[in-house]
Amino acid sequence: MKGTLNLVGYGLSAIGPAIATGMIFAAYISGVARQPEARSVLQPIAFLGFALAEALALFGLVLAFVL
Amino acid sequence: MAGSGAGFVPPSTADFNLPPIIGNNAYSTKPVFLVLLSVLVISAFFIAASRKALVVPSKLQFAGESIYAFVRNDIGEEIIGHEFMRFVPFLFTLFTFILTNNVFGIVPFLQFPSMSHVSFPYVLAVFSFVIFHAVGVKKQGLGKYLKGIAFMPGVPKAVYILLTPIEIATFFLVRPLTLSLRLFANMFAGHLLLLVFIMGGDHLIRGVIGLKLIAPFAFAFGIGMTFFEFMVQCLQAYIFTLLTALFIAGALSDEH
Amino acid sequence: MATGGEEGALWSIMGYLLSGLIIWGGIGAAVDHWLGTHFFLLIGLLLGGGASMYLVWLRFGRK
Repeated sequence: MKGTLNLVGYGLSAIGPAIATGMIFAAYISGVARQPEARSVLQPIAFLGFALAEALALFGLVLAFVL
Repeated sequence: MAGSGAGFVPPSTADFNLPPIIGNNAYSTKPVFLVLLSVLVISAFFIAASRKALVVPSKLQFAGESIYAFVRNDIGEEIIGHEFMRFVPFLFTLFTFILTNNVFGIVPFLQFPSMSHVSFPYVLAVFSFVIFHAVGVKKQGLGKYLKGIAFMPGVPKAVYILLTPIEIATFFLVRPLTLSLRLFANMFAGHLLLLVFIMGGDHLIRGVIGLKLIAPFAFAFGIGMTFFEFMVQCLQAYIFTLLTALFIAGALSDEH
Repeated sequence: MATGGEEGALWSIMGYLLSGLIIWGGIGAAVDHWLGTHFFLLIGLLLGGGASMYLVWLRFGRK
């Protein structure tokens, strides 16, 4: 079997954003479920949090290929 | 360990390059025949389901109608809005075609998802790419459509140098690429996963007595993963159709 | 747009971030290749990541 350690490292580094995304949307869903009219307030915050977490994961992906 | 562990060839990408079936013709491989078969299966099923349409539907008619209603109502009407009826034939064809080809991955004796060859998802993504851009151009005019894509309103002029390449790359490169690669990668990885468990179990059962005892677990896990794969296959067909509908809806709305 | 809009927004956020990193990181890598340096790739990646985050904020964060 052949491969590079970069991808193992990327796999490890993807754990963090995965947990973060799960927690962001868990909080968003429970917030909307408790107070449906707060959706328009919560939605941009949830999306920006998702974008922040996802940016880290994609950084890892790009660096795993580049380095 | 040396005697039993040696000789096992782990499944790799080489397992996806199947030899031609008819002579040396490079176009007569298994995926090509599976795609042709899927066209026959889909046509036969829906012709049979809609041939004798009754008010009180038979079981076959009910199955066909519920697939159609799912695509029309839950994907088409929900996402595209009031102009959805024009796009339902395309979305429906896309959904049934991808679903049938994906499910071939777990049908006994066929057992190869033709979408795990990247060229088929590429072609499908080209179709939806051309259609959603053509819809946008026809609706808003070429100049206005491109301007809407490339220039975000409400931004200082200097920032456009930074943002416009990203917008253009997103709409013309990343969208079709991620659309096709998502489907391809899911099918490829799923098939490889099943190969690992079944071939590994097959190798274990030929090993020494201790390994023979582990082999049933490998087979059981392989069977469990087959059901998991069925879920993934349906989900990927749905996601491909859903994203195509979302792109069309984005091209129709002129808010950006 | 109802529930489908949220799902589409998530995929397009991912697309923006990915293409920002690819485009500006690619430009940085090209400059590196051209000048024989090593730090433009990092600058390009950070610039692309920042720019695409800004784009996500413009499209989904404000209002």
